Amino acid sequence: MRTRTIIAIVVLVAVIGGGLYGWTEYNRPVQGAEALAAKETIEAVDLLKAFQENEGAATVRFVGATEQAIQVNGTIRAIDQGDKGKVNVVLETGDALAGVVCEFASEDVPGDWKAGDTVSIKGICTGLLMDVLLQRCAAVE
Amino acid sequence: MILAYTDRRKTTDMNTVRTIIAVAALLPLATIAQDRYATRTGHITFTSETPVELIVGENNKVTSVFDATSGAIQFDVLIKAFEFEKALLQEHFNENYMESNTFPKASFKGKMTGVTAEQLKTAGTYEVLVEGELTIHGVMKPVKAKGTLVVDAAGGIKASSDFTVKPEDHGITIPSVVRKSIAEEVQVKVRLDYTKM
Repeated sequence: MRTRTIIAIVVLVAVIGGGLYGWTEYNRPVQGAEALAAKETIEAVDLLKAFQENEGAATVRFVGATEQAIQVNGTIRAIDQGDKGKVNVVLETGDALAGVVCEFASEDVPGDWKAGDTVSIKGICTGLLMDVLLQRCAAVE
Repeated sequence: MILAYTDRRKTTDMNTVRTIIAVAALLPLATIAQDRYATRTGHITFTSETPVELIVGENNKVTSVFDATSGAIQFDVLIKAFEFEKALLQEHFNENYMESNTFPKASFKGKMTGVTAEQLKTAGTYEVLVEGELTIHGVMKPVKAKGTLVVDAAGGIKASSDFTVKPEDHGITIPSVVRKSIAEEVQVKVRLDYTKM
């Protein structure tokens, strides 16, 4: 009787624990870059150059096989209001046709940032289209 | 004196010819520049809806160029730039289905018909047909879809099109265990807010 009770309790705990883990894992929200350690730090000019010189190698290095954050330092070229509460901070690259575009949730962009400021941004690099793109960004103090 | 005059006249004529050639050469470029539109912040949303699960992925960093003179249109999208509400869905989308490390981009290249560059100089709404090649997961398939262009008073163009994509058509295998969770036809919405180049 005692053994059966112990087994029943263990099974019940396992079922409830497994269910809770599954539910939590299924509903786990997408992380911002703030929660991740930067894999490496690079200047915006050098980041664009790396993609332009060898996009495949730069994708492996900066985008990575699994989600990773990088830190980019640079000068703000422009701050553009995006859709759905997003703000794009574009970093200068020396190439008028291409920038490093860092997408923030609007509440995460420091209110005193303006064009010409030198800033450090942590973000999740998703690759190169016309610009190098970083998403779910966070300002680095 | 007569020879000198003739030489000057020849030189003048040659300069005129050179100028005409230069203008003629630059004219098409000027025309092309005026009729080209682009965006770097286009939207693509896909929705997979089944009785079991609703999955929505959004990408608002679509780049696209549209040449109103020829009707040529192209857009490119980074697969890892699609965002989901739940991290697990985003991971499965990238790792299990789209294999975004191997196929990091999707693209469309085609032609838009039903409207002329001249018409697009006037504000209004225009129904168009878009035909071309859609490459997802490294597999190209021909697609044809209706679309709408809305030209505003400032000359900007808002393009929209809705169509469906079958994952299997692009070599995306859905395991039988999750087959009921993923729609056989995924709804795709494209919204491109073009400005003149």
